Amino acid sequence: MSIDTINTEPATSPADARTRNVLIVGVGGQGVIMISKVLALLCQTQGLQVKQSEVHGMAKRGGVVFSHVRFGPEVWSPTIPMGEADVLIAMEWAEGVRWLPFLRPDTGVFIADTQQVIPPFACRNREFFATPAYATETTAEIIGQVSDGFALDAGRMAEELGNARAANTILLGTLSASLDFPLQEWLSVLSQFVPKGTEEINRQAFLLGREWVEKTREEPDGAVALAPAPAQPEARPKIDVRLEITREWCKSCDICVKLCPERCLELDEQQIVRLKDPDACTGCRICEWLCPDFAIAVHHESRDAATESGKTA
Amino acid sequence: MNEMNSGGFEIRDYLRLDLMPHFMCPGCGHGIALRALLWAVHELGIEKDNLAIVSGIGCSGRVGAYIDANTYHVTHGRPLAFATGLKLARPDLEVIVITGDGDCLAIGGNHLIHACRRNLDITCLMLNNEVYGMTGGQVSPTTAETRLTTTTPSGNSEPAFDACKLAEATGAGLVGREVTMQTPALRNLIKKGLEYKGFSFLEVMSDCTEIYGRKNDLGESAEMVLAQKSDMRPEAYSTITEQPFRPNRLVTGILASNDRPEYGATYRDQAAALRGDDNGEA
Repeated sequence: MSIDTINTEPATSPADARTRNVLIVGVGGQGVIMISKVLALLCQTQGLQVKQSEVHGMAKRGGVVFSHVRFGPEVWSPTIPMGEADVLIAMEWAEGVRWLPFLRPDTGVFIADTQQVIPPFACRNREFFATPAYATETTAEIIGQVSDGFALDAGRMAEELGNARAANTILLGTLSASLDFPLQEWLSVLSQFVPKGTEEINRQAFLLGREWVEKTREEPDGAVALAPAPAQPEARPKIDVRLEITREWCKSCDICVKLCPERCLELDEQQIVRLKDPDACTGCRICEWLCPDFAIAVHHESRDAATESGKTA
Repeated sequence: MNEMNSGGFEIRDYLRLDLMPHFMCPGCGHGIALRALLWAVHELGIEKDNLAIVSGIGCSGRVGAYIDANTYHVTHGRPLAFATGLKLARPDLEVIVITGDGDCLAIGGNHLIHACRRNLDITCLMLNNEVYGMTGGQVSPTTAETRLTTTTPSGNSEPAFDACKLAEATGAGLVGREVTMQTPALRNLIKKGLEYKGFSFLEVMSDCTEIYGRKNDLGESAEMVLAQKSDMRPEAYSTITEQPFRPNRLVTGILASNDRPEYGATYRDQAAALRGDDNGEA
C-alpha cells in the first residue's frame, strides 16, 4: 500500500506530522456526507485534529456533492489543494473522473463506484435513441492512470446484500483498508451514524468493502476485472423523420412554431407552417400533438423506406 | 418500429374528412383535446361502431361532429341526460359525452349532479375554456375572478366553479383534470376514464385564444398553451403542501376515485327481477 502507516498515538516527531487528505465526491443522495462524518469522528476519537468542509448546495437529486476531510496532529487549512488528496473516493463514476486532478499523482489511492448517475444536462440531445453526453473513459483506462486504483460496483453489491442504500458503507469499507485505524474503532463509529435498525446490514456492507480490497490486492488484475465496464451504447436504429403538413388545414395559430424545441418550423409568406430546418427536426412529435387543426403529421421512417419513397417520388 | 411512440395512431382514420378543416378558431385547445380523445380510443381498440359520442351546444358541442363514429348533437345542456338514456338502452356502446363549461355546469348543471349521483358508465369530457366562446364571449361559471368578458366589462366579480369538487361531492366514480398542453398525459387520463366502470368526469383545461385570451391580454395561442403548465400542478405535488404557491392554481391528474356500484348493472338486475327472470335475483 502506498499510504504510510498512520500512528494512532499523537505524532511525536515532525516527520509524522503530515496532514492526510481524503476527498469524497458523489452526487446528491448517495451518502457522501455520511462517509466524511464517520471518518471525521473516527479521527477525533483517535486524538487527531480534523477539518471537514463540504459543498452540498446543489445536491438535491443528482447535483454534485463533495467533502474534504483533512486530519493529522495539527490541521490548518480546511480544503485540499489540487494534487494533494491521498485518497479520492467517488460514489459516482463521472464525478470520480472529474476530480482526478485532486489526487496525489505519485501515491494517491483512487476508489470509485462504477455506478452511473446521468444528469439531465447530459441528455439534451433530443434525437431518438441519442446517447447521453457522459464520461467516455473506461474503468481500465482510469485505473491504469492512477498509482493505486479500485473500481467496484458498490451499488450492485449493496443490492445483493439486501439494501441498495448501503453502497456508501461498502465504499467506506474500501476506504478503511487504505487507512490504518483499528477495525473495531471503525465499526463502533459507524454504528453511531447509521439509522436505527440498519446497524447489522451496514456492518456487513463495511466488511464486504474491506474484504473486497484485500481480495483485489492478492489478484492485482481484479481491481478492474471485478468491475463492470461502463455501459456501452447499443446500436440504435437510425430514423428519418418526415413531416407531413396539410396546408389546407393550417390556421396559422403559431403554436407549433413557438413551442418546437428545435425551432425548426416557421410560417411562410402565406402564414402557413413550413419546415424551415429539416436537419434540426428530431421527430419529437410536439408539433403534431399540439396542433389543434391536425395539420402536421410526423412520420418516422427507417432509412430504407425513405430511399424507396424518394425513388418513387 | 418505425412509428415510435404513436402506436400507429393516424388521426385521419377517426375524422370525418369531408368536414375538415374544423370550424374552431386558430389555436383553440379543443382540437388538441379531440386528438387526445381519439388517441385514447385508438389505444383501447374501441370499434367505431361501438363508440357513441354525445355533445351539447357550444364550441365543445361541435367537437363531436368531426368524429367518424356514432355522434349525437343534442340540445343545450342535455348531453348527459341523452347519454343516460342511450347507455341504459344500449349498454354495449361506449358512451362519451363531450360538453363545455357552460353546457355542463350552467345550463346542464342539474343533469351533471344527477349523472354523478347515479354513477352510470359514461365518460364525460368537460372542455373548460372559461368562457362562452361561440355566442361571443359571455361570462361562464368557470370564468376566473377579475377576468374581462363581454358581460363583465369591468372584471368578473363572481367566484369560479371548481367542477371537479362538485363532481366528487355528488358521487362521480372517477374525477380527473388535465391540460391540453400535456397531450400524452391527457390521453392517459381519458384512457383511465374510458376503462372505468362507472361515471367518470374529466375536466380538460382548454384555451380560448380568440375571445377570452384576446380580451384578457393572455397572449397568443402558444403563450396560453404554455401558461397551462405554470397554472396547474400535478396531483403528485399536491400532497406535499396543502397551500399552493398561487392561490388560483388547479391540481391535475386523478383527483378522486370512488368504488361505487355502477347504476346500469343495478338497473338491469332490478328490471330482470321484476320480469321474473331466473338469473336476475335482486
